Amino acid sequence: MRERPVLVLAASAVLALVVLAVVLAPWLAPYPPADQDLAARLAPPSAAHWLGTDHLGRDTLSRLLDGGRFSLTVAALATVLTGVIGTVIGVVSARRRGWLDELFTRANDVLLALPEMVVALFLVAVLGPGHLSLLLALTVTGWTPFARLARALTYDVSARGFIEAARVLGCSPSFIVLRHVLPHLAGPLLGQATLRFGQFLITVGALSYLGLGVQPPQSDWGAMLAAAQPYATRSPLTILAPGLVVFVVALCVTLIGQRLARVTSTRMVLASAPSRTVPDA
Amino acid sequence: MTAFLARRAVTLGVTVLLASFVVFLIPYVTPGDPVRKIIRSRVAGEVIDDSVVQGLAADLGLQDPLVVQYLRWLGRLLGGDMGLSYASRTPVVEQVLPALGITLSLVVMTLGTAAVVSVVLGVVAALQEGRAADRVITTITQAFIAVPEYWLAPVLVLVFALNLSLLPSAGWAGPSSAVLPVAVLALRPTSYFTSAVREGMLDALGAEHVVAARARGLSHSRTVWRHVVPNGLLPLTTLVAVWFAGLLGGSVIVEVVFAIPGMGRLLYDAVRNSDIPLAQGGVVVVVGLAVVLTTAADLVHGLLNPRLRGHRA
Repeated sequence: MRERPVLVLAASAVLALVVLAVVLAPWLAPYPPADQDLAARLAPPSAAHWLGTDHLGRDTLSRLLDGGRFSLTVAALATVLTGVIGTVIGVVSARRRGWLDELFTRANDVLLALPEMVVALFLVAVLGPGHLSLLLALTVTGWTPFARLARALTYDVSARGFIEAARVLGCSPSFIVLRHVLPHLAGPLLGQATLRFGQFLITVGALSYLGLGVQPPQSDWGAMLAAAQPYATRSPLTILAPGLVVFVVALCVTLIGQRLARVTSTRMVLASAPSRTVPDA
Repeated sequence: MTAFLARRAVTLGVTVLLASFVVFLIPYVTPGDPVRKIIRSRVAGEVIDDSVVQGLAADLGLQDPLVVQYLRWLGRLLGGDMGLSYASRTPVVEQVLPALGITLSLVVMTLGTAAVVSVVLGVVAALQEGRAADRVITTITQAFIAVPEYWLAPVLVLVFALNLSLLPSAGWAGPSSAVLPVAVLALRPTSYFTSAVREGMLDALGAEHVVAARARGLSHSRTVWRHVVPNGLLPLTTLVAVWFAGLLGGSVIVEVVFAIPGMGRLLYDAVRNSDIPLAQGGVVVVVGLAVVLTTAADLVHGLLNPRLRGHRA
């Protein structure tokens, strides 16, 4: 396939713009996000309100900028948390092997069978809604893709000559992992992390949409969509805008992640020829 | 093969036991008095008096060790007794079974649609590899996974139900009410299926027996239909089974938006109303079925791929 860095560059630019706008929201937003102007409810776009207002007369653009903070933060935290946990578990399984590997593989199989949304609903039911239960719900099932990838790649790398050489030279196992194994995993794991971030962003929005994520008076993109739904016919923009932002961000992240995964996996294949079959995780 | 089967069976059993134990613990770990919560799920009337609560707790064996209580609960569950829903005061099982039927038909329709669409798209993309058709199909189907269901669903309702009045906006009555939910739900599996079919087809196209068939002088279409397509579609079979399990619990958003009285809607209502027995029954059924389906998918995978049986558990 012909490579299209243009698309990925454009996606990166859009993503950077959105993130920057959300970070600078307090300075960029034309109005405070909770400011109500009941005289201008469900107003169409105008010079005063670029994206119109919602059913309480709150400025949609300001709320979009403010709401992004929750969605992006939780998705980013979940990505980092699951990425670190999954990588550690995957690398340790593949290096130690034996019963530890067996145990983690089994745990992975178990979690793979649990529907993500049901686990999230269950945890929110037990712990109550909020940041922490949301993060926990995403982490409990979310580490498995990272663990599978890290395990398979570590198996691959471990079979290669320089690892054996390092061991013979007397390098400690932790040194080998940090110096020789992890650098080889960095690329593919980064691609995976990017893709997962997009999926987490969508899931966070879904849970907020269901009223199980962010709690009022705070808001995020999913909660905005849910609140706007009864007024969709009168002011379609109130539901179009927050969903479109989630879609655009998720799309950019997916494009970047797929590109990263493709580039780094090609490099892996080229570097590790002749390839060796790995026990599937 | 026997070892492979045995390992899968053990994993299946352990998973189901672990999951059911966690579900059993819900009334004990949520805020409030577990004894009162359990009595509420077993006795039809409202119990307020403390001495009556004490008596009922003794009758129901709520002072026994947790393990004994769990085994008793598990026994009742296997007998189809999931207690009474807090909200409706009717047996949970009477709500779970119809909801399960609706979600199953929703999932079957979704996977059928996704499979047909992705086979067409994947085969075309693979045969046109690198050309415009391939690039368009690949890019668009990849974008499908970035579409939030809670956005697409209301937008489709707005366009097709409220503005054009072509389809019903909500409910579950007749084939027309299934069109929008299935369209929304099918988007994500279509994305993954199409890429799997495309990859499978490309692998099959490069296989030696295909080259041999060409060398024997078989026509292009005959080679493709006889030798490439059957092998190329193989990866799709396990993927469909895996997605079957995933969609059972993954239709929450769609069922809530379209007011479909399925399992997703039931779980959502149970959580919102803190209806513990209903949540327990719903989670046990969804997770149990998902685990069985995932194991079945693995077995099919093992049967089709004898090489995996040794390593993989």
